[in-house]
Amino acid sequence: MHLLEEDQGRCVKADIISTVEFNSTGELLATGDKGGRVVVFQREQESKNQPHRRGEYNVYSTFQSHEPEFDYLKSLEIEEKINKIRWLPQQNAAYFLLSTNDKTVKLWKISERDKRPEGYNLKDEDGRIRDPTTITALRVPVLRPMDLMVEATPRRIFSNAHTYHINSISVNSDYETYMSTDDLRINLWNLEITNRSFNIVDIKPANMEELTEVITAAEFHPNQCNTFVYSSSKGSIRLCDMRTSALCDNHSKLFEEPEDPSNRSFFSEIISSISDVKFSHSGRYLMTRDYLTVKVWDVNMESKPLETYQVHDYLRSKLCSLYENDCIFDKFECVWNGTDSVLMTGSYNNFFRMFDRNTKRDVTLEASRENSKPRAILKPRKVCVGGKRRKDEISVDSLDFSKKILHTAWHPHENIIAVAATNNLYIFQDKVN
Amino acid sequence: MEYKVEAHRIMSISLGKIYNSRIQRGGIKLHKNLLVSLVLRSARQVYLSDYYSGACLNAQSEREGNEWDIMDSEREKFPPSATECDRAESPEEPQQSKQPEASDKEREYRENDDEVKSDQADCTSTLQQEQNPNPSLDSVGNVSPPETINEPKESPSDSSVAERQSTPVANGESHQAPKTHVCSNRKRSAEESESGDSPQKRTKVASSNSKEDEEGEEMDTSNVSNLITIFGSSFSGLLSKDSAKPEAEAEDSGQICCDQMLKNLNPWSTAIVAF
Repeated sequence: MHLLEEDQGRCVKADIISTVEFNSTGELLATGDKGGRVVVFQREQESKNQPHRRGEYNVYSTFQSHEPEFDYLKSLEIEEKINKIRWLPQQNAAYFLLSTNDKTVKLWKISERDKRPEGYNLKDEDGRIRDPTTITALRVPVLRPMDLMVEATPRRIFSNAHTYHINSISVNSDYETYMSTDDLRINLWNLEITNRSFNIVDIKPANMEELTEVITAAEFHPNQCNTFVYSSSKGSIRLCDMRTSALCDNHSKLFEEPEDPSNRSFFSEIISSISDVKFSHSGRYLMTRDYLTVKVWDVNMESKPLETYQVHDYLRSKLCSLYENDCIFDKFECVWNGTDSVLMTGSYNNFFRMFDRNTKRDVTLEASRENSKPRAILKPRKVCVGGKRRKDEISVDSLDFSKKILHTAWHPHENIIAVAATNNLYIFQDKVN
Repeated sequence: MEYKVEAHRIMSISLGKIYNSRIQRGGIKLHKNLLVSLVLRSARQVYLSDYYSGACLNAQSEREGNEWDIMDSEREKFPPSATECDRAESPEEPQQSKQPEASDKEREYRENDDEVKSDQADCTSTLQQEQNPNPSLDSVGNVSPPETINEPKESPSDSSVAERQSTPVANGESHQAPKTHVCSNRKRSAEESESGDSPQKRTKVASSNSKEDEEGEEMDTSNVSNLITIFGSSFSGLLSKDSAKPEAEAEDSGQICCDQMLKNLNPWSTAIVAF
């Protein structure tokens, strides 16, 4: 796959991007950062004058979604970092997205204003109230064009439903409900109602001493509004059907692969913890990401995954150091392409990996300014494991573990990807022939 | 032996992580702490199993034997606490009891080991613990910690053991009482003996290395009595650093506002201040 690079670097000081998401048409791309801000990019309309600038993404709207809060009861600070953004399908001229931090989900409306009313009777153009006694004639206000203004307003705030940290949100295909997931519980909300939510999964044991696993991610089925999956820290995925009971603690399907005893180490449990789970667009497959691999599961087969891809197996011998520097706890996400034929996930040293399910080929690419110029074709990278290092290869020991790509997104229809590398956002497109 | 060194290192790193997670912004992360506690448990199992197979047969085990004898004699002085401990904990975690060879020393150690493993489970559990329905906790938790911090070293060990005796051991969760104040002891003795964490302390007593030899001569009665207190309260002191802290953490991450939890928080804040 040939790629063009367009560098849409975010000029934000030390603000690490914490989530990236395309909307359902791919026209908009939203990013959330650790400072609680959301930046939305919009794709340019393609113009015949500049065919090589095939729809670049420009900043469309920026707003502060969440602020740091303090829970006085528990003496805890609540981080404003945006954990997830999910777009709602577009139903009118405005755009809607859900953004969440550790405790609160907010529904934001992003709308354009390019006209403004002029000629009010009761107030001046400046907004000052006129003295009614000075009004001698009435006029009808008219709408006059103005510079485009994009404004974001919070329409709903869903709070006080989670004791633990929210790690995922997922919009249902019925477009009326969505679910929010924390470490131990999943709650179902109606998008219109903020003062009530329904708990649909609760894995908190009666005695917390018996706690052995937590929920790490959850997602609704793309087509079936009654089905959702959630992944656990023990490496298992549960598929639940909301029609069976109000509380879906008993799963309908359990996807689990028995552990390979030869790979047992102190850190086996950590690396088997699933950091992300995604349905394919068709709904037939599930993709899961744990620390070292990406797995594709067939929804109809629970005993083992259909495919397993090694993302960076050369790290298996370095788990102890990665534990020390906390890198082993990094939560990598994974994404499908529009046709469910290619998988993408991130790694260290600003590398990200793509796996083609059909050809079984994989490629490692790097998102960095130094190594690629705008509009250059990305060069595949290779990590060498011991032995002789060839010219372009990087040895495992010289990988930069502070440069990690945790969040990536793939355009729903085209081959355009967004890759978040710490506080920079890279957008890559397919080469135009 | 190198497994033990590795396990020991991993244990101290894990404890450091649990400790640091308290001061992290955003509150304690349940998932990460759960994983760290699992690693801690695995490392500890390896460490203890290695102790079993290797350490007792070492040439320098004689000196260890002396220390263990001291500990054993102290345990004989306070048999009720030890046995109550056993009784309380063995129903909780029966699957974790080891089957060592039958030697006197090892048998005594095995009782400790069961308790250690139960403590390990407790450690994991208190990490996320919300409910602490132990009624005796109120009396013990309130009374002892201020004493242990303010009074000189000898008396806390006496008072804590005495408290322990007087506390009716209703269930395994009563260990949190001794854990709470023994941890203060352990912290102080940790400071003085220049070892930062519990696995090192255990190493000092139980395993054989050159460092231990040097420090063995420096160990005076007060240090030994602290160790006795720690071992006498069935290894809870060794884990007290990470068990009491996760307990406090769990309170933070849980939603319990019951009085017992709040009282548990108080001794810890004073302990942290003292530390």
